[in-house]
Amino acid sequence: MSASAPPRVDVRAYACPMTYVKAKIALERLAAGERLEVWLAAGEPVENLPRSAAEDGHRVLAVEPLAGAPGAFRVVLEKGAGAAPEWP
Amino acid sequence: MNDERLERYARQLLVPGFGEAAQERLGRARVRVVGADAVASAGLVYLVQAGVGRLWIEDAEDVSPSDASGWLFAPSAVGSPRVEAARAVLAPLSRFVSIEPYPKGGVPTATLVFASSGPQALASAEAARRAGIPHVVVEPDAEGGALVVVPPGAPCYACARSTAGAGRPAQPGIAALSALGAAELVLMIANPESTPGRRIDLVRGVATARPTSRLPGCACGGPGAGAT
Ligand SMILES: [Zn+2]
Repeated sequence: MSASAPPRVDVRAYACPMTYVKAKIALERLAAGERLEVWLAAGEPVENLPRSAAEDGHRVLAVEPLAGAPGAFRVVLEKGAGAAPEWP
Repeated sequence: MNDERLERYARQLLVPGFGEAAQERLGRARVRVVGADAVASAGLVYLVQAGVGRLWIEDAEDVSPSDASGWLFAPSAVGSPRVEAARAVLAPLSRFVSIEPYPKGGVPTATLVFASSGPQALASAEAARRAGIPHVVVEPDAEGGALVVVPPGAPCYACARSTAGAGRPAQPGIAALSALGAAELVLMIANPESTPGRRIDLVRGVATARPTSRLPGCACGGPGAGAT
């Protein structure tokens, strides 16, 4: 894997289920083992997204407050090998 | 895909394996629907909600009193052309789907057949097979009915249809059969590579599926039969 920063989706302005829809589409563009950083609002989004990602077979590597953005969180996901592939 | 579309199809986009590319493929699809009677009602609604780009409805008849007992047509629609009555109900469901009468010479990318006669079902399916496009034929009967799912190159409808032919009126589970037919077509459009040809029998609400096989000597196995 490259050492460059992982792609990022900022869904702080969105509510469920759009938060995970946006993350899921971004994950579809990655290969297994690649990472995605998601910026989320506190509350429902940050409670639901890590769970949805795990249910779809991705690894949740980090859930932490987003530096310099009070009330926001940063979630790092790693695309799982067992995750259902996007149809070609 | 813009946010408006993402929001509209969010639930479908959350299905594992069904993503943005599949939704965009649906959005580009031109689906010919043959027959728009009560049997077709649930399937038509399903296609609109799933987000096919263009729905071409083909039916020369008017709404009958028995159609109006289905959920698409109101009693006030009895006597008006089925295609127009269906469009009036379906169009407000989604502004992303264009709903039109099947245009003469139109080139569909998929076909869903609810034909009320055996010969019409066969002819519609054969046209789709020759065009090399995915199609599903819905055959209601008194117990529920069956679907024949035909991806390009698979054994044709004639190889797998009910020898008794499709019956009317259909009774139990008709909305389920109709929607299942539409769902199978949507899956083939969204994911063209991985759907096998199969026949699904829905008997009193219980679905069983089996792969279809080619009848010896059928034209669908001959030259020009497509990808087999
Ligand atoms: Zn055949």
